[in-house]
Amino acid sequence: MKARVIKAYILKELTELIRSRFIVMVYLMPTMILLLFGYGIRMEVLGARTLIIDNDRSLLSYRLISKFEHSKYFGVTVEPLSEAEALRRIKQAKTDVVIIIPESFEKRLLHAQTTQIGIFTDAAFPSRGITIETYVKGVILDAASGMNANLASGIIKINQRTLFNQAMRDEDAIVPGLIGLVLLVAPAILAALLIVKEKERGTIFNFYASALSKGEFLSAKLIPVFMLHSLNIFVLFLWAVYVFNVPFRGSFWLYWFASEIYLLISISIGLLISVITRTQIVAVVLTVIITIIPGFLYSGIIMPISSMSGMSQIEAHIFPVMYYNHILYDVFLIGEGLESDKTLRYLFILSFYAFVLLGLSRILLRKELK
Amino acid sequence: MSRVFWAIVGKELLSFIRSWQLVLVVLYSFTVNVYISGSGIEIKPRNVAVGYVDYTGGGMSQNILTRLHAPEFLPPRRFTSQEALSRAIYDKEIIVGIVFDPDFEKQWRQGHKSQINVLLDATAASQAYTTLGYLQNIVMGFSELDIPIEIASHKLFNENADNHTFMALTELLSITTMLTVILTAIVFVREKEQGTWDIMLLMPVNPKLIILAKSFSQILIVMGGIVISLGFIVLGIFSTPINGSFWAFLLLTFFYVWASAGIGLFIAAVARDIMQVAQLSILVMMPLIFLSGAWTPIYAMHPILRTVSLISPLRYYIEGTESIFYRGTEWIDLWPYFLGVISVGGIMYFIGFRKIGRLF
Repeated sequence: MKARVIKAYILKELTELIRSRFIVMVYLMPTMILLLFGYGIRMEVLGARTLIIDNDRSLLSYRLISKFEHSKYFGVTVEPLSEAEALRRIKQAKTDVVIIIPESFEKRLLHAQTTQIGIFTDAAFPSRGITIETYVKGVILDAASGMNANLASGIIKINQRTLFNQAMRDEDAIVPGLIGLVLLVAPAILAALLIVKEKERGTIFNFYASALSKGEFLSAKLIPVFMLHSLNIFVLFLWAVYVFNVPFRGSFWLYWFASEIYLLISISIGLLISVITRTQIVAVVLTVIITIIPGFLYSGIIMPISSMSGMSQIEAHIFPVMYYNHILYDVFLIGEGLESDKTLRYLFILSFYAFVLLGLSRILLRKELK
Repeated sequence: MSRVFWAIVGKELLSFIRSWQLVLVVLYSFTVNVYISGSGIEIKPRNVAVGYVDYTGGGMSQNILTRLHAPEFLPPRRFTSQEALSRAIYDKEIIVGIVFDPDFEKQWRQGHKSQINVLLDATAASQAYTTLGYLQNIVMGFSELDIPIEIASHKLFNENADNHTFMALTELLSITTMLTVILTAIVFVREKEQGTWDIMLLMPVNPKLIILAKSFSQILIVMGGIVISLGFIVLGIFSTPINGSFWAFLLLTFFYVWASAGIGLFIAAVARDIMQVAQLSILVMMPLIFLSGAWTPIYAMHPILRTVSLISPLRYYIEGTESIFYRGTEWIDLWPYFLGVISVGGIMYFIGFRKIGRLF
């Protein structure tokens, strides 16, 4: 190892990164994404736009409507429209659900005859449609069982207890996952151009002609990015804990250590792309395609990996996000730490990834002309 | 004039095809990528892992458990103690744990209030919510509530709430956005970086024409990808229904791709080299994609973000696409989407013309 040469190279890379004014982006981007998404993504459906057509206008129907009006899950408008007009509202995407209370609703109920409430949910967005439908049914059944008190016996109550996230706060469920996404995308995109840029400009010949070995060259590329982004591990942690008030129950050392390994992985992904591509445009497109969408889909933010099937299940296991996010959710919400075998195993898998990716880049990197 | 236009378009297309790596990557993202996310990702609960501890000795509890069936739930796994169950939840092997207390069945038979204890892993929030809803419905069925109300519920446009077509479509839209923005931005910045852009501007050709031609070539590439993706994956493998007009969709897509190219142009005007393009486009695209209403409804967002999302063309495009594919909205009701997309595109091109279209 020629420590002096590597040092000089690292210095050169660092100055280059800092001179391009966009060094600000290294710190701005992760923070911005975390803030935007942390406030922007909501899993529960609040204020679903509900249109109630009350054809009865009786005491009971008003009582039912007020049940909806008092729920934070619905934003209610009551309008006397025909069914066709209501359907048009849905088609214009101005309403999510239409509830139709039939005529003589109260009369039939008081005579203990069956009456039918119609619900029309917009399922163009399937998961949202299902959630809204479940909520509406819940409110109606709740209102109905409240109407006569003696029904209350013989009911099985569900005593639910949510673990790790008692208040079911969306922030707690989303923000740790976002850290995994951000720390994948930002370092990878920064590293992806480092080598291919030299190839396109021709400065790569300096490396061909220099005494630097392949491993030394790679580490000179890797270390500056690694150092710059290491700071983000702490920045993101502060945002999560102090702005989004996500609890932190595990060991900070584990979080730090796992994050550094993960950082190594995402930089290695970038470097590997940089090694195999020939032009910068391909490198950018490829990095974006294989980090952003999979990083989001397989992070466990929107669905747990155990619920995936087929190809997605396999692809989820290929991407390192899943392993890191397991550790992330553990240190933030659960706090089992290294006592759980799974965490330890995943930590090993992550190290293995970093090792393999770096090794691959080293093998595929050329040091001479073809 | 038009000869120059087509010459530039032809040149850009040629240089696209010459880079086989790029062609391969674009094809991959429009086909395999869309297929994978369409085939496996489900947002509604499926294969939810359920574990239970039964202190009652069977009967009623088993009766409830058998209602938790495929495809929503995996066969419930039995645990001998609550500790074992909690441990499995900690390891994320189980998402929902059910504990039946010893006197559960007795209480129920005697008509007292009885309760089931449910442990939910709330880190999988959306699954937890919906699973709870399912359980409530199942239990409600047992309680033999004598309510004279029937609920006739219809899910419009997508009766089975089939998520495959929806996910495939969302993925296609995201890919379209990303590729258009990046490809367009780089086409300009590459010339800037190599210094040939100034020469282009010095030519006796209207710079607006050059900008339009260059971005049009990238629009063509992306539209080609969309058609391939629609034909083979979205309509082919997933056989997504189109309730509205296919031509309306294509037209909307064209204007949307044009608007995204405008965003790419804007990035190209600000950035100096490809490194900056990469950073900037991620900074612009990620909010564009994930805050467009594809993952969270716009009205459920923070008020500030709701306002910001007005300038995202993807917001109009996604809602418009959902309307055309599922809701079958007529042409006349589609005008907000066309207006939104076109005006965003217009503004972007206006800025682009001014910033990048002249030398001094």
